Amino acid sequence: MTTRIGVIGAGFAGGTHARACLGIDGVTVAAIATDPVEHGRQLADECGARLEASAASLCAAGDLDVVIVASPTYLHAEHAIAAAQGGKHVFCEKPIARTIEEGRAIIQACDHAGVQLAVGQVVRFFPEYRKAKDLIDSGALGKPALVTMTRGTLPVGNARPWYLDATRSGRVVLDLMLHDLDTLRWWFGEPTRVYGHMLGGTGGIDYALATIRYSDGPIVHIESSWAEHSGFRTTFEVRGDTGLITHDSRAAAPLQTQLTNAADGPAVIPGPTLLETPYRRQLREFFRRIEAGEQPFVSGGEALRSLGLALAVLRSTETGQVVAWTPPT
Amino acid sequence: MDAADMTQRRLRMGLVSYAHVHAPALLRTLATLPQIELTGLYDEDPDRGDAAARTHGTAFHRELATLLDRSEAIVIASTNVDHRRYTDAAAVAGVHVLSEKPLATTLEDARSMVETCRAAGVQLGTAFPVRSSAAALSLKGLIDRGALGTVLAIRGTNPGRFPGSWFGDRAKAGGGAVMDHTVHVADLLRWLLTDEVVRVHAEIGSLLWDLDVEDCGILTLDLAKGAFASIDCSWSRPKTYPTWGGLTLHVVGERGTVDVDVFRQALVHYDDRAGETRLAGWGEDLNARLVGDFADAVLAGRPVPISGDDGLRALEVVIAAYRSAEQLGPVAIADLD
Repeated sequence: MTTRIGVIGAGFAGGTHARACLGIDGVTVAAIATDPVEHGRQLADECGARLEASAASLCAAGDLDVVIVASPTYLHAEHAIAAAQGGKHVFCEKPIARTIEEGRAIIQACDHAGVQLAVGQVVRFFPEYRKAKDLIDSGALGKPALVTMTRGTLPVGNARPWYLDATRSGRVVLDLMLHDLDTLRWWFGEPTRVYGHMLGGTGGIDYALATIRYSDGPIVHIESSWAEHSGFRTTFEVRGDTGLITHDSRAAAPLQTQLTNAADGPAVIPGPTLLETPYRRQLREFFRRIEAGEQPFVSGGEALRSLGLALAVLRSTETGQVVAWTPPT
Repeated sequence: MDAADMTQRRLRMGLVSYAHVHAPALLRTLATLPQIELTGLYDEDPDRGDAAARTHGTAFHRELATLLDRSEAIVIASTNVDHRRYTDAAAVAGVHVLSEKPLATTLEDARSMVETCRAAGVQLGTAFPVRSSAAALSLKGLIDRGALGTVLAIRGTNPGRFPGSWFGDRAKAGGGAVMDHTVHVADLLRWLLTDEVVRVHAEIGSLLWDLDVEDCGILTLDLAKGAFASIDCSWSRPKTYPTWGGLTLHVVGERGTVDVDVFRQALVHYDDRAGETRLAGWGEDLNARLVGDFADAVLAGRPVPISGDDGLRALEVVIAAYRSAEQLGPVAIADLD
């Protein structure tokens, strides 16, 4: 039996998820919806999918089993709710929504429709972060004391201005830092309080620092940057009282190709570094669990709590004060 | 140093106390710099001081007054709490002072040291050698000529192993990792941005080494002109880490970013005989530049490049961090007593 997928959005997330589906047996990307419609043409051609007239018509289509919501953050609620009402299982790109209220509405709509909802907190499928969790859980590091995490990539604000519009994206905190905040909750559970700083949001770049405190656990410092002009990079360190693990994605590249005959002069081409990308693992796991009738790996409720933590950091950046953390229910 | 300088007289300088882990390197520096005539060592511990003086081929003075009599300037490498009393003694004797960091353990002490030296007409300097690194100087140049545009944010780290010795003893050190490892980066931030810290938030904890003082700390700072920054001052490097620690800056400007890793210049030494892997640093000697610049300024009658006031400003960040950790919220420097 074939699982038929509709994808809303053909930006970075839409393209990544659609292409990830192409490598999974028994899965077909059948439809793409973008606004404007023609934006999705290239991705639809690549996937052999039809272009839908709108997200609404895609959600109402009779031949789709799953809708991947990969639209800008502020549209997640509208699209995910429409997909659920159309009887489709929903895979929603992170953050689950721009606000807690929107996130709750998505969860309720999926519950009401009896469809599965998974949220793409993809870092939980990155092997380096899973290995770290294994080591933390095994006790090999002792009691966690200090954790630092950095995540940076090229400025996104000029090409896609909605990313720097706090009301639509939540900026670098909701989009990028969310990954590390979700990872923290996955590794250590719920923290106690947060404190953060963020740039003014001009000039196409964005950058934030946050300090997260666990009452009976580690002090955590997170750097999130849309000003990493040399490209994508993640690092982390976890220091327990009996050991330290360190990670740097640049240092962990097992293949670096340098060509002298590229059209634009020498080119450095990183990776691929894994036979199966975390994005494909994530979707494969989601489809398997739908088939088996199991709960998703990252449920709507779990993603909602990570969104809440990011919103707490965002509030701290706005007020300049420490924000106590209580998970939303 | 050019030929004209070689004809100049040398500054008579001595080392006061051998308590600090930096004392051997400072004594070696004093013994080798051409513009300095080493007048010897005073130490509270006569056995330790005598042995150190022999090792470095210099005189050991059992009385502080003897060393001060023979010196125009001293470097203080004592425990943190002793900086004030040695500075006071030097000022009375009309001797200039270069103090190890932190300048003192309380604002009262630091302010008093600055005022005492000013009143006595002697210069007070603070040992912030990282300013002298090629990487930091290059970054300062980039910022000053506007290559980065406005600097918006800096993430700084100065993690290390627990240094041992008296560094975990509050009565001698005045605190733990926050007292020990905040001030280098705090000073770099002020110097690089030509700005002042106005607000400090800190999360600290005694989480690693079973100490009575804090060994982990993350500080977040607001600067007057609008930039923000953080400092990881933790003694977070494990015993098996291949080096003592390090100092890094990630600088975000309007037009670019810069990464500084001051002690990156090192060979990796896999040592089967010692059963360990460690870094063999080959970077330039920062102490030589620090002490040399201090001596040059004193000889020329110029203000020393890194002053007691610089030490006081960096200490304000430390004191604000402790208060922030107590209050669970950010603290304004202006609100410090």
